[in-house]
Amino acid sequence: MLHTLKKYLSLYVAMFKASFIADLEYRANFFSRILTDIFWYIAQILTFEVLYQHTDKIGDWDVHQMRVFLGLLFVIDAFYMIIIHENLENISEKVRKGDLDLLLAKPVNSQFMLTLQKANTAIFGNLLIGSAWLFYALSGLPNFNYLKLLWLVILIPCSLVVVYSMRFLFSATAVIFTRSENLQFLWWQVYRLGMRPDSMYNPYIKYVLLTVLPVGVIISIPARALLNPPELNYLLWPLVLVPILIYGTHRFWNFALKFYSSASS
Amino acid sequence: MKKSFAVFLKRNLAFANLAVVTNLEYRLNYFVDAIVQPILTTGIEILLWVAVFKGAQTETIAGFSRESYLSYALWSAFFARIATSWMYEFRMIEEVSSGTINSLIVRPMSFYEYYLSQLMGYKIVTTMISLIVPVAASYLFDLPAMFTRLPLATLLCFYYLILVHTISFIISSAAFHFTKISSITVAKNLFFWILMGELFPLDLLPEPYKTTIISLPFASGVFIPVGYITGRIGVETVYTGFISVTIGLIVLNILGAYLWKRGLDSYAGTGA
Repeated sequence: MLHTLKKYLSLYVAMFKASFIADLEYRANFFSRILTDIFWYIAQILTFEVLYQHTDKIGDWDVHQMRVFLGLLFVIDAFYMIIIHENLENISEKVRKGDLDLLLAKPVNSQFMLTLQKANTAIFGNLLIGSAWLFYALSGLPNFNYLKLLWLVILIPCSLVVVYSMRFLFSATAVIFTRSENLQFLWWQVYRLGMRPDSMYNPYIKYVLLTVLPVGVIISIPARALLNPPELNYLLWPLVLVPILIYGTHRFWNFALKFYSSASS
Repeated sequence: MKKSFAVFLKRNLAFANLAVVTNLEYRLNYFVDAIVQPILTTGIEILLWVAVFKGAQTETIAGFSRESYLSYALWSAFFARIATSWMYEFRMIEEVSSGTINSLIVRPMSFYEYYLSQLMGYKIVTTMISLIVPVAASYLFDLPAMFTRLPLATLLCFYYLILVHTISFIISSAAFHFTKISSITVAKNLFFWILMGELFPLDLLPEPYKTTIISLPFASGVFIPVGYITGRIGVETVYTGFISVTIGLIVLNILGAYLWKRGLDSYAGTGA
């Protein structure tokens, strides 16, 4: 077990290094990625800043708390973009071009390879910007206890697993439908539900977004850990959800592979 | 002259038809693009506006009722789908970057018209199919929408689409010189996303940003047509939209023609 873990860890380190070297080849890409995400950050911030000109609260939170929520969104999204996004974005193409054959033939878990083969190190700049915004937002909260940030050590990895699992379920449909680009865009819409605080939704929708379609867990629960008094049921739920989702993606991947008929599928 | 116009028209109708047939080939994909995505966007935005009004504990925001904002959210999601070009812009860039453009530039047509007709064909069909949803929802939920204003609003959106295509043409011309230019498409579309008014009605912005952003041609993609349908703005703003898009088209077409010529001069025929 430990030997297998070490093998996969060293494999990931090697793939990360290879990705970094490949990214250095296109230095302008660093700047274009930062520029792209800056527009995205502006869109998110502007939406709420304009809305708060006309209301004091959205859901449970005021403008200062919403800024913290957005900071967490930027940070978690940056981690997701660095580690996972590009790999899952390309599954459809890998299926169509037959590149999946090569991954399936390797003596390692195909889901692992498909998920972590390429890291997007160009996003590190975005992570810095997102973190800077988060600290700026936290500085606007009166008497914020910075020890609460320790919750993020547990909750951010949980959020990443949740966002990965949800995205993977959408991406893996490419193996079944072959051409499913718009289903991938559909993922974006589902993810957007999680980009708004869960307190904004009515209780039924909120329940669905925290359980059946758990995009509400990704940002709202870490934000609650920072902004609200500790609520144990909220804080423990990601720890229960993570193993269920990992197992679920593994089963779904094996199911999807039954539809795969090699390069020309 | 008459004959050459007939040939031009026939050729472009064929391109438009090609786009329709190609996209309808993958019906699930198309259904998601034209119907499911805008419905989901609408749902998400409606939830936001319900929460905003609940928090504000007021009947109106900036002089408009909750129903007015729900109607705006409903229509803006559908107009935004029409007024944005992802797929064709990526294809245009790919043609230049990979060198497959060779087979297009030797034909008796322009690269610009080839993709413009395809974009228009695709968008016309998408509009006819997808606009059924906001029309039906407006009737069903009794949301404020003036259907007599729909033709002029749609016309403005399609006029704006020519501007969008011209920008795609400029970016694909830049692909003669730069690799990985497609990331610009994402940045550009996000920038327009802010300026079009899909996120929130642009008249909620404080002055002077409000007047400045509404005067830009990008507002003709979503804010002006949707504002006109939902009764936020009058016909004079629609005319202003036509004028600003026309100015944008003149400036950007001159720039596009120049960049295209420079790109072709430097192009070696093997991809960029």
